[in-house]
Amino acid sequence: MLRKAKSVDSWVLLLIAVPGLLHFLIFKYIPLAGNWIAFQDYNLFAGLFHSKWVGLKHFRFMFEYPEFLLVLKNSLRLGLYSIVFGFPAPLILALLLNEIRLSWFKRTAQTLLYLPHFLSWVIVGGIFTELLSNKGLVNQLLVGYGGEPVSFLTEPRYFLGILISLGIWKEVGWSMIVYLAAMTGINPNLYEAAMVDGAGRFRQMWSITLPSLLPAIIVLLLLRIGHLLDANVEQVLFFLNPLVREVGEVFDTYVYRVGLMGGQYSYTTAIGIFKALVGILLVMGLNKLSRRTTGESIY
Amino acid sequence: MMITRRSDRPFQWANAAFFIVLCFTMIAPILHLVSVSVSSPVYANNKLVVLWPKGFQLSVYETLFGMKDMWRAMGVSIYISLMGTLLCLILTSTLAYTLTRPMMPGRRMITRLILFTFIFPVPLIPSYLVVKELGMINTLWALIIPGALGAYNVFIMKTFFQGISAELVDAMKIDGSGELGVYARLVLPLSAPVLATIALFHSVGTWNSYFGALIYLRSKDLFPLQLKLKNMVASSGTDSGLDSIAVDSGILSSPETIKAAAILFSTLPILLVYPFLQKYFVKGVMLGSLKE
Repeated sequence: MLRKAKSVDSWVLLLIAVPGLLHFLIFKYIPLAGNWIAFQDYNLFAGLFHSKWVGLKHFRFMFEYPEFLLVLKNSLRLGLYSIVFGFPAPLILALLLNEIRLSWFKRTAQTLLYLPHFLSWVIVGGIFTELLSNKGLVNQLLVGYGGEPVSFLTEPRYFLGILISLGIWKEVGWSMIVYLAAMTGINPNLYEAAMVDGAGRFRQMWSITLPSLLPAIIVLLLLRIGHLLDANVEQVLFFLNPLVREVGEVFDTYVYRVGLMGGQYSYTTAIGIFKALVGILLVMGLNKLSRRTTGESIY
Repeated sequence: MMITRRSDRPFQWANAAFFIVLCFTMIAPILHLVSVSVSSPVYANNKLVVLWPKGFQLSVYETLFGMKDMWRAMGVSIYISLMGTLLCLILTSTLAYTLTRPMMPGRRMITRLILFTFIFPVPLIPSYLVVKELGMINTLWALIIPGALGAYNVFIMKTFFQGISAELVDAMKIDGSGELGVYARLVLPLSAPVLATIALFHSVGTWNSYFGALIYLRSKDLFPLQLKLKNMVASSGTDSGLDSIAVDSGILSSPETIKAAAILFSTLPILLVYPFLQKYFVKGVMLGSLKE
């Protein structure tokens, strides 16, 4: 009797799970298996099963192709700069905000700092192209103070700087929430004890707050480095134009342009595999390193 | 709570000043946009508007509200956000629920398989081909279905469900409820916070993205607001067809003011609900950070 009821439960549960499981199968696992086409000369008309098998041709082609090396370089540069500048920003901001004593001021500041996260990249891009365009407000002000106008949006040397600053502008407030949440969990007695021992503001920050945040910092940094080669495609695509392509073309935009638009499915899938492997190797390597040195790891 | 000393005063003032400046940089660009959109085109075109409107007028909004395709695009955005969020909640909550139940066959393995997709990125080209094979190219389903379920949300919801008291569940089962009854009458009603959080993230995410529409849609009639807007404002606004709109509507508007107004038009829903949502999304991020 009881056993019968239990087996009914199992069937009901399976039935409830079916839609979600099917979704994972169709939209996550089948595409993963679809990486197969990197080893074929995939042809839309022949399809997955009848396209010609070519082994590692596309991978060899990839490394011989100067365009691939350029895109790799650009992706690495964008990834590294956004970690170097973008990763510490929310941490510093959270530490500073934690020093604000007036609670209404703190709340208002938080509300305003989160706001840009909720704007789309089209909107953020629209606002800033308007401000930075050749006849935009920034250039009007530059000229007004006797300077020369600057083509911010079409000069390669400004591209990375603009991309990274806007990325920080949009997400810094949002990313700091995790640190603020971690800070609320710190035992206040620690600060009192430090105070009695004569520790000042910065000493408390350095010796109590930062060490308490360390596990969160390491986990977030590891995850971030695993995505070193992943750019925000909506952001980069918005600002990309032929004049800045030599510095702005990254893997995600390249796969979109050459793969999807240009129809080179197999070649760009090979690039996708390369990118995924680099990410996974980075995470696994650094995870091991981190577990050995600090004891923190993500799995 | 840190303890404050008198010697910390200068630092506190400097810190407060820093945040005032920073907050200003967060709202100034938006304020600028609002001012441009309600300024007279003469001032807007010559970039004389900085933070306050000059030659206040609302005619650009009349032009914009008169554009049928803007309303259609907004309708599409609302439709895909609502449908996508509904589907997301159904798929995520059912799957997460079964993963918390001991009677679920193979739940350990399924949990691992879901975690696996979190680590291995889903490739763009093969995903596109799957959507294509399913016949969803150039339909709104392509923007609703593929993105509806993700490992991250499943784990957030699963963690939340696990916090629901096992005694309550047992009591319901003794009273004769089946698994479906427990899900519908106990778990879902108790999970309003996590459902609201995920609904918020998913609907804002769908509302704001344009990449899916860019790759899956062909006919302009189906374009959601963000893609339509992107085509209007991208590439430094050189050849976006805005001049012709400005000409069509007489000299009352200019590309500058229309662009600004269109950007605000598409942000309006988010700016309107933003203050009310704040308490949810902060909680939501914390739910996320407790994931492990």
